Amino acid sequence: MTDASMLFQINFKSGKPVYLQVVDQVKAAAASGAMHAGEALPSIRPLAEELRVNRNTIAKAYTELESQGVIETLPGKGCFVRPNNSPLKKDVRRKLLIEEIDQAIVQAHHLQVPAPEFLDLVRERLGVIDEKRRANDSKTKVEL
Amino acid sequence: MSANNPSTPAAIEIRGLSYSYGRGEAVHELNLTVTPGRCYGLFGRNGAGKTTTMKCLLNLLRPSKGEVRVFGLDPAKQEVAVKKSLAYVPDSVAFYPWMTVRETLDYLASFRDRWNRSIEGDLLDRFRLDPKQKANALSKGQRTQLALISAICPEPPLLVLDEPTSGLDPIVRREFIQTVIGAYQDADPGKRTVFVSTHLISEFEGLIDEFTIIDNGRELLALDADAARSRYQRISARFASEPATLDLGVAHMVRRSGRDVEVVVNGNASDVMGRLRALAPETLTTESLTLEEIFVTTVQPGAAA
Repeated sequence: MTDASMLFQINFKSGKPVYLQVVDQVKAAAASGAMHAGEALPSIRPLAEELRVNRNTIAKAYTELESQGVIETLPGKGCFVRPNNSPLKKDVRRKLLIEEIDQAIVQAHHLQVPAPEFLDLVRERLGVIDEKRRANDSKTKVEL
Repeated sequence: MSANNPSTPAAIEIRGLSYSYGRGEAVHELNLTVTPGRCYGLFGRNGAGKTTTMKCLLNLLRPSKGEVRVFGLDPAKQEVAVKKSLAYVPDSVAFYPWMTVRETLDYLASFRDRWNRSIEGDLLDRFRLDPKQKANALSKGQRTQLALISAICPEPPLLVLDEPTSGLDPIVRREFIQTVIGAYQDADPGKRTVFVSTHLISEFEGLIDEFTIIDNGRELLALDADAARSRYQRISARFASEPATLDLGVAHMVRRSGRDVEVVVNGNASDVMGRLRALAPETLTTESLTLEEIFVTTVQPGAAA
């Protein structure tokens, strides 16, 4: 079992399709530097057994990640995290992000979090993820 | 009967299936389609009609009404071809008591066109089954393990499992069904189909792609597992004081206890959430029901999920 499988956790009560949970967690791991470009993803069967899900679910997640350009499959070798360059055009990337931001804004409204506090939170979270990435980067360098 | 695409027939196609034992009807007008490569659950209480349905697929019972097809073939007319395309593990398994595990596997392999020795060795190791052990000295759990090994070694395109984990130690059974299905689907997953009946649903939570719930021989619900979990949600709200009136629109179940309100919804979570939010609750949370909870709330709508 590779270390990477420990990054993933499935919550059947989240209401989010299981394969999407895997997709989002791989993307989060790549964004935070917990997984870096060129690193191998766990192979399908051991990860399926580890997470107690059907291999179809993991295969579907990997296919989705590949179509989003997050990972690539090398025949006979497995799946690897790709360097961060989305194949999508900049306006498409912005549009996808805007949808996510809008959802967070709607959620903030219903949770009665006013705009300035919301913006502070966004800055805070950017900082947290940046910090994680730097910590992961320095770890990698020490290992090298 | 015609499949959507005649070149790739469904692994299992059941249309209007009814079966009666004497006067009692065990299965009533059941419809169900299993696409190749999927892991399909047939959920029901004991006596719901699961075993009867499976026996109709194997030509162990002839349908009173309706049709069943396995890869487009009629089990009554093409019995040999149907039986070559599947492996069936019944709810209680028996082996010749004087044979050892090794002899039992060799004997069963002699009926099959192919037999994957590496899967066999791998699973014997993982289950710590001793090939020299006599079948009559095996525990119930070990007999089930042996039956499952002998079902997947021929690598048939369809695996029919009737209550494969019932009667087993609760600690081991969950891991072991995962191991068996994982090994079976490891090669050529698009052609490895599982049709499994159970009333112990929590063990199959992550394995099931799609399911049908039956009760008294009738279908109550048939859904994709992810779709089911996103439709069935439990919403919990706590108010500052006990709410006087509560208009929640369509709810599957509502339970009130003082300041707390719990609602189970089927498909309209955002509407019910909106109505609760308008009453300014102190807390408002939502989570999906598990497949087992969906089963319970479907079979017994009054019961708390």
